[in-house]
Amino acid sequence: MKKLHARWGGLVSFLDVLVRQAHPGPCVLPYRRFEEKVRDGRVFQAEGISYPVLVDDLEGTVHQVYGGLADPTYLIDAEGRVAYYCLWTHAPWLQRAIEALLRQRGLGVVCGGLDRTPHALAALTDGWKGLRRGLWQSFTDLETAAPGSASSLWLGYQLRPLLAPLTLRAEPLPAPVRTGLALGAAALLVWGARWALARRRAS
Amino acid sequence: MLAPEIAQRFAGLARKESLKEYNFSHFRTRVLWQDARRTLAGQGIAPGQTAPDFELPSAIGGRMRLSDLRGRPVLVHFGSLS
Repeated sequence: MKKLHARWGGLVSFLDVLVRQAHPGPCVLPYRRFEEKVRDGRVFQAEGISYPVLVDDLEGTVHQVYGGLADPTYLIDAEGRVAYYCLWTHAPWLQRAIEALLRQRGLGVVCGGLDRTPHALAALTDGWKGLRRGLWQSFTDLETAAPGSASSLWLGYQLRPLLAPLTLRAEPLPAPVRTGLALGAAALLVWGARWALARRRAS
Repeated sequence: MLAPEIAQRFAGLARKESLKEYNFSHFRTRVLWQDARRTLAGQGIAPGQTAPDFELPSAIGGRMRLSDLRGRPVLVHFGSLS
């Protein structure tokens, strides 16, 4: 998002809306008071976000009205209509959508309007940054809910220097490279799940 | 506090989570399935529909209203600290 903002901030307004704790833990407790959420909004803002961070209310009213989805990003056209939205926010696809919308003079639906693809590679490389705030509860909760996923996030983060140029890029990749990366990520997830299962059986 | 339009839409949601459900204490399989179901169903605001207007406080003070930004595209990301 920061890279997209650096490139398109002059033509597109950017907003971040802080929602609930996605992976709670001892240091990132679920919000019980609005002031706690505002405090985390300031933390979020201080992490190099130069566009406004808004704070949703405790009920998650705005988040729930917008579908209550996991990590979504909406691109809204110049007249206030939804042009496109994606789940598991993915910068290269958003870049395509922004370019298409600007080609249409900022109006209308672009890129089919909706991307439901779970873009696992970006999450695999960067997801640990969120999960580690709630250690160890956040790790064990996610690992229990989806065996192998929390350990894959840890592994992905260790390999970040190697993976980031590909997985955290803002520019779209050619289709064959995208397919190869998707297969690689799937293999890594399977390996992580098998490793976790083997560990569980051994103990 | 919120724009009346979004409060009205929230009140009219067929399925909404209670305060406790929304601010869950543990990420459980229920949350994972819920995320997957909403993703597969494309449960967001449909492309072409007007984005519900909202007004929220900014983390660094002041308030912002989505509709005040009309005239150029807006990218809205819903993020979490964890």
